[in-house]
Amino acid sequence: MGKILIVDDTLFMRTLLKNILFSGGHTIAGEAGDGDDGVAKYKELKPDLVTMDIVMPKLNGIEALKAIKEFDPAAKIVMCTAVGQEQMVKLAIKSGAKGYIIKPFQAPKVLEEVKNVLAS
Amino acid sequence: MKEVPVKIQHNNNWIVVKMGIGDDRIILPDPFNKEIPFRTVDDIAEKKNVLIITVKTDTETVYKILSVEKVLQVLKKLILGSCNAYRLMAYFMSPAIRGGVMIKDAQWDKGSVVVVRTGIWFISATKQVCVPVNDVAAIEIIKRDVQGKSTDVIKIDHLDSGEVSSSLVLCPLSTLQVLYNYLKETTKSMDMKGTELDSIEQQVAMLVYSGMDSHAIENMLNIPHKQLDGIYDKILNLGLGEVVTIRREIQLTTKGVRYISDATKSQTN
Repeated sequence: MGKILIVDDTLFMRTLLKNILFSGGHTIAGEAGDGDDGVAKYKELKPDLVTMDIVMPKLNGIEALKAIKEFDPAAKIVMCTAVGQEQMVKLAIKSGAKGYIIKPFQAPKVLEEVKNVLAS
Repeated sequence: MKEVPVKIQHNNNWIVVKMGIGDDRIILPDPFNKEIPFRTVDDIAEKKNVLIITVKTDTETVYKILSVEKVLQVLKKLILGSCNAYRLMAYFMSPAIRGGVMIKDAQWDKGSVVVVRTGIWFISATKQVCVPVNDVAAIEIIKRDVQGKSTDVIKIDHLDSGEVSSSLVLCPLSTLQVLYNYLKETTKSMDMKGTELDSIEQQVAMLVYSGMDSHAIENMLNIPHKQLDGIYDKILNLGLGEVVTIRREIQLTTKGVRYISDATKSQTN
């Protein structure tokens, strides 16, 4: 079980992820509504894992991922992506993301990916 | 003509027969006593190891054939090559993308695309992939890098074990649009206007997809049970969902209250 930071610009998606992660026994370290805030919250909260949306205002998910990895190369970040963003996922993995989950979310798949990344 | 043992469904029972397989037809012995030319096959579908073929002459007859994979492969190849369907030679990649990510080592296969009533088949020397029409989520023409050139291809998004996968079809530009139109027409029953669900209803649908139950959805969206029930009705009426569980809320009768009171007394005494 891990302490997780959720970074997503939509409240609905954050609430959904929170519910799914709670149901899997995880705790929520915090939430952020854009990439900038995500990087700041990471530095402040030091979560075990971050779920990071890709398309966000201010700093997008890929840029936020790079900033977090620069601060903490061991950071475990799972990207949240919509179907059809395969190029973005490739870029994210290349930039150090440990995994990805696809929107719309399916609870078992989210929990499985989070579990795998936490164990890695 | 080769003969192979298969099981065919007859009056809801599976019976073993020796089916004759020729170049252009199959022959079913007693109790069927039927010759089925492949060109009379109007639809072909597969569920696990059962091949379901629909033959249309004056009437429509469905045959369910159960056999080993090797026999079914031969049958599928022969039937799909001659049955009543829209077919064209094409390159395809199926599946090409799973869960939004390109499948490692996915390659273009040279073969044909056969569109029957209930499915889109991708056939090559080594592959027989069927995408049921009911599982098609979207069809579009996109640009794709093929051997260093930006090329028009058809992308078919479909559900595969609960996950969205995409298959790609590459063919000459002149036939690409024809195939696209045909596929759009075939899958028209799955089309929906984006405006049929409002924002809250879309959120409910997404939460259902994510595995949330009604109690969780009510709490997350802060809506009363009656409103959620109405949204469920709309989703059901549009054919977007199906009922899996009916949850009940009850209240205790006098007898029930008495039972609970007694039980509490005996626990506290």
